[in-house]
Amino acid sequence: MILLATLGRRLLVAVPILLVVSVLLFVALRVLPVDPAAMSMPPNATRDEIEGARRQMGLDRPLPEQYAIWLGHAVHGDFGRSIHLRRDVLPLIGQTLPGTIELAVCAMVVASVLGLAGGLLLFSLRGRAAEAVAETGTTLLMSIPEFLWALLFIFVFGVLLQAMPFTGRLDPGLERPVVTGFLLLDALLVGRVDVFRSAAVHLLLPAVALGLAFAPPIMRVLRSSLLDVYHEDYIRQARLRGVSETRILLRHALKNAILPTLTLMGVQFGFLFGGSLLVEVIYSYPGMGNLMVDAVRNADLPIIQLVGLTYCVVVLLINSLVDGLYLVLNPRLRKR
Amino acid sequence: MVDLSRRTLLQTAAVGALAGAMPAQAAEADGVTIGWPSDVTSWDPNQRFTPDAQAIFKMVFDQPLDQDPKLKLVANLVSKWEMAADARSLKLEFRDDVLFHNGDRMTSADFRWTFFERIKAGHKVDIAQSFRKVTDIETPTPTTAIMRFDSPAPTVPVWLAFLGSFMVPKAYMEKVGVEGFSAKPVGTGPYKLAEYQLNARIVLERNDAYWGPKPKLRRVTIEIIKDPSARVAAVQSGQVDITVGVPVREVARLKAMPNLAAELNPITRVILLQVRNDEGFADQNIRLAAHHAIDKKALSQAFYAGAAVPLSVPATPGSPGYLDDYSFAYDPELAKQLLAKSGFGPDKPAKIRMASTNGQFPSDYDMARAIVQMWKKVGIEATLEVIEYAKYFELNRGNKLPEATLYSFDNATGDPEIYTGYLLNPKLPFSPWKDMGLGQKVIDQFNVADETARIAGWRALNREAAEMGATLPLLQSVQTLVRKKSLNYTPYGNGWLLGQTMSWS
Repeated sequence: MILLATLGRRLLVAVPILLVVSVLLFVALRVLPVDPAAMSMPPNATRDEIEGARRQMGLDRPLPEQYAIWLGHAVHGDFGRSIHLRRDVLPLIGQTLPGTIELAVCAMVVASVLGLAGGLLLFSLRGRAAEAVAETGTTLLMSIPEFLWALLFIFVFGVLLQAMPFTGRLDPGLERPVVTGFLLLDALLVGRVDVFRSAAVHLLLPAVALGLAFAPPIMRVLRSSLLDVYHEDYIRQARLRGVSETRILLRHALKNAILPTLTLMGVQFGFLFGGSLLVEVIYSYPGMGNLMVDAVRNADLPIIQLVGLTYCVVVLLINSLVDGLYLVLNPRLRKR
Repeated sequence: MVDLSRRTLLQTAAVGALAGAMPAQAAEADGVTIGWPSDVTSWDPNQRFTPDAQAIFKMVFDQPLDQDPKLKLVANLVSKWEMAADARSLKLEFRDDVLFHNGDRMTSADFRWTFFERIKAGHKVDIAQSFRKVTDIETPTPTTAIMRFDSPAPTVPVWLAFLGSFMVPKAYMEKVGVEGFSAKPVGTGPYKLAEYQLNARIVLERNDAYWGPKPKLRRVTIEIIKDPSARVAAVQSGQVDITVGVPVREVARLKAMPNLAAELNPITRVILLQVRNDEGFADQNIRLAAHHAIDKKALSQAFYAGAAVPLSVPATPGSPGYLDDYSFAYDPELAKQLLAKSGFGPDKPAKIRMASTNGQFPSDYDMARAIVQMWKKVGIEATLEVIEYAKYFELNRGNKLPEATLYSFDNATGDPEIYTGYLLNPKLPFSPWKDMGLGQKVIDQFNVADETARIAGWRALNREAAEMGATLPLLQSVQTLVRKKSLNYTPYGNGWLLGQTMSWS
């Protein structure tokens, strides 16, 4: 009940946040020195024709009026048409968002597994000579951005070993089932093992490249949380009761140390979602990041605006989810 | 009973997993996989002018007229064409053996629909601008059409083979609408669209009922790979058979590989400095000095491995507007003398601003920096700023472009009207040159009906523009292309890469 109430409150707060973000996005995009009307016309259009397009797009009206018109349409699900692609924007997001979510979730799984395992390893090495080596290792990992991992993996697994595909989401010749838009899920729903395997293999390199860049902060936060927790009385008491060190770590310390790590993972997911942009371009992965790159290049304001809002919605949802998980994992919060 | 140890089991599983992960190599013999840098914006080929999509469209749709590999205008769906002496009407005769992919026969009604009716019906198509002079298209017979213009339109035949001019079927489009057509396009081209994934993949299957020469390859797969390094990796690993737009510095390395061929092919794209006629460039001496100070050969050598041809006029070698007998000299001493006449020199430099994109075309920003250094030596101090390509038109509209802007302009036809006529027309959004002295001559040249006089006029204007410093042409751009050695293709002067010309040795 408390969980539902918290989630409900969160979602209510999300509405004004989204409105503010939409205003900021709208204003920021309109003051950019680009000419969407000119971009919407062919190169041989005359100045008069461009002016005509500007009037038709409502770009000659005052900014508040432009925003009011946009908002009026947006609440009815009409987010406008792409200037460059001349298609409704919402279906384009609908087509590309599942791919990006699938990539971000898989990358988060990679980051979480590596981060948690690495954090435990780092903690277990505390006070030993190997600790310095492990510390240097995490610093090195942290200093490599996701696009560098992406290029490195292409070189090693794609070019040198020729063992992994690195373009698209599926092998050529395989028909893509469309049920939910989530390819892995759809392949399972229609019982296509070949499609599932191909999609998973295509997802592996981009997900690991993205996940690797986000794993080191998780390692470090988990390690320092564990160090804090190990100063608590209940750890000493557990030792006095003769509980084994492994059991203390996994059953007592980790349960409490995971909470700040979880917060970080929630924040990380937002960044990871945004960080997919470059990785998607490098791996020719047809997600929302790829769409965004083209939209920025072509000053396609309706797409940029909706992609920005979508990122905001995803971050708000993730935050609500993390809050919910917090409530589940921390009983003290439920009593407040 | 087979005895499987834990190690054997693990090894078997590992080999199996790796085998499952092995990427599908580009299929030889019956198909080809192309690594292409951009997607189509829509499958309505009349809708947007996207030069990079032109080659993709040409595999699915046909144009009324075509260009051969040397860019000569040739018959295609139109078997004969005749421009009236006053260039106010154009008579076209169509082939009678052309079928759309859905089995409908192509007639002159489809031509009228594509180039007149759908524009009048308010469809948002870029070809509306190309054919704005068309007042009517008469269709006396199913294989004849007469285009009528409100003023001389001598370049309409060229435009019938240019951007966006692809025949679409009237009956089918009226039945399914534009959205329906874009979802399931129907053309008359050598291939049919079999599969499309936005920003990822296009799969084309051979059209066995094609009216022209049948393509040798049954299937063309186009992988959309926007990142140049990824395209290099894809062709090197065999995941694609051929790709374009790889970094120039990679060409030599890939060329040395035993199974790959790498080429730098000059194309109809020009790299030039678009200039203003006022502010720091109001003085002709300074503009000419800026031009004489640029060592174009050195730029070509440094950024295009010497393959980009230095230009003196805004036209590429072999195109009608190119002047074989004219060369604008690289002469830094002359540049200094010209500057001195206007009271400037290395100790008292003329100050201007310069803009360049960064990453819009290969080495653009680096080339701009090199030019700034060349100018500095003779006495021109340029402040370099980076602009987004999307900002060019907005800045130009607001008269805010700097004195010189590094620019790349594509003209697949090679026609001088589409080079000089667009680059120096003050009424069009490309030109920062606003002086109507030259500008009016450019505008008037659009209405010259006689072909010989038309070409002669553009050639004279090219020379005049260069000699007054209204244009600073730099280089003919090159297309970088890497392919498997055993894959044959026909290179086109404008960089088209067409599946129907490909075959395996």
